[in-house]
Amino acid sequence: METQAAPREYRWRMPGNWWTRNRHYFNYMLREFSSVPMALWMLWLLVEIQRAGGAASQYQPHGSPAFIAFSVIVLLFSLYHSVTFLSLAGTILHFKVFDRPVPSRLIVLAMFGMWLVASVVVAFVLVWFAR
Amino acid sequence: MADKTLSIKATRFDPQHDEKPRLQSYEVPFYDESMVVLDALNYIKSHVDGSLSYRWSCRMGICGSCGMMVNGVPKLTCSAFLRDYWPRPVVVEPLNNFPIIRDLVIDMDDFMHKLKAIKPWIIRKQDIPLGAGEHRQTNEQIDDFRQFSQCINCMLCYAACPVYGLNGEFLGPAATALGRRYNLDSRDEGLKIRLPVIAEAEGIWECSFVGECSVVCPKGVDPAKAIQQTKLDTTLRFVLPYGSRE
Amino acid sequence: MRAEARQRPALAHLFFWFLFSQGGVLAALLLPAHVLVQGILGPLGFVPVVDRHHDTWINVLGNPLVKLYLLVFFAFAFFHYAHRIRYFLVDLGVHAAKSVPAQVIFYGGAVVVTLITLWVLLTTAPLFH
Repeated sequence: METQAAPREYRWRMPGNWWTRNRHYFNYMLREFSSVPMALWMLWLLVEIQRAGGAASQYQPHGSPAFIAFSVIVLLFSLYHSVTFLSLAGTILHFKVFDRPVPSRLIVLAMFGMWLVASVVVAFVLVWFAR
Repeated sequence: MADKTLSIKATRFDPQHDEKPRLQSYEVPFYDESMVVLDALNYIKSHVDGSLSYRWSCRMGICGSCGMMVNGVPKLTCSAFLRDYWPRPVVVEPLNNFPIIRDLVIDMDDFMHKLKAIKPWIIRKQDIPLGAGEHRQTNEQIDDFRQFSQCINCMLCYAACPVYGLNGEFLGPAATALGRRYNLDSRDEGLKIRLPVIAEAEGIWECSFVGECSVVCPKGVDPAKAIQQTKLDTTLRFVLPYGSRE
Repeated sequence: MRAEARQRPALAHLFFWFLFSQGGVLAALLLPAHVLVQGILGPLGFVPVVDRHHDTWINVLGNPLVKLYLLVFFAFAFFHYAHRIRYFLVDLGVHAAKSVPAQVIFYGGAVVVTLITLWVLLTTAPLFH
């Protein structure tokens, strides 16, 4: 009796442009990419902090139109990060109160509430102490 | 009265003759609004080309056998209605991210291996004696894991997951969701036994929460949720000294 | 078939994920306000902002609570960015981004930024309180 070699399978290859084929995949990559502009802006902030250590007469904060445009782009990315991350936090967090699971919508609401409070506090400190 | 037809483009791959897969077109009569893609495939096999190979069984969305890519989206072909695609052609391909055995049939050994690895059965340190009766569970205890028990092992989630597509070692959505189903079951005492597989480097940590697995799941299992919650629970286990989920 | 020996909890990955998730929360809650106020409204002159003038900026930066806030913010946020950017490269097909040297580069980079932040905070604006 002859034995036949198993016919070969066709191996899967992930296309390099997989993330362009579907809106969800593209949005996901955008979300992941948002770390880059966010990191760059925070590095700018670090430079701004470092500049405070220099002479008062030579202090010049960033303010060029290019910088403002950069900040607008970063703001869009960071808003996208915040909305997606805080919404998804509702999926991850799960706990029970009085033996009943807390609905995820409530958790997401709480997260967005915290975001609002944190933003107001940060903005307040940044403006109040500029008087 | 002109008969309506719909064009099906199906992947053909004969491992003994073909270098790579190709698409073959067939015209299928579209005579009933309730027709699904699986009906079209069955028509092709019965009347046009008996060599077309594909998996199917219950044709009612419960066995999980007929998963394929329909116009680039992982679907159960028994639940993909032709009326949603007509008059455009429907491209039917084997599930993404798996090796192709033939035509629309993929090799699911990797998934079967992963399923077995998470030990999808009740693990007890000690079985309760028969005389003690059944394990009793309240509805609330069943609610804890009910959603994750709905999985029909159709592997649409694996076809949708780009992490799995890029890295075949990744444990994947369904296996993790089923592991969680048993870990959350009040009758089960096997979390510590499953933990090494679930929390290994290629386990839950490779997931970057794309979320497409939950989008395509035909049973609402939400494996993305299962994975993220497992990440959190596992982390808390190690961070909290007394954090035990058993 | 994976080797049985590899099946053990990957504590390093657990740790990375924990820092990543906490950093994501902080970046999500805090960054937009900073960017809006310090990056747009301040430079446009719509509102007075602390970093527009040296004296107000150095005054705020001298506060130890502010220094602590900034250190924690930067440390966790950059860990989040390092993790995300590393996996972004993996998604683009750069398989080397999964290697241990890549982990050293990215997470080590986050540690470096944290140390630089610490140094800047300690050497800029003396503590007034």
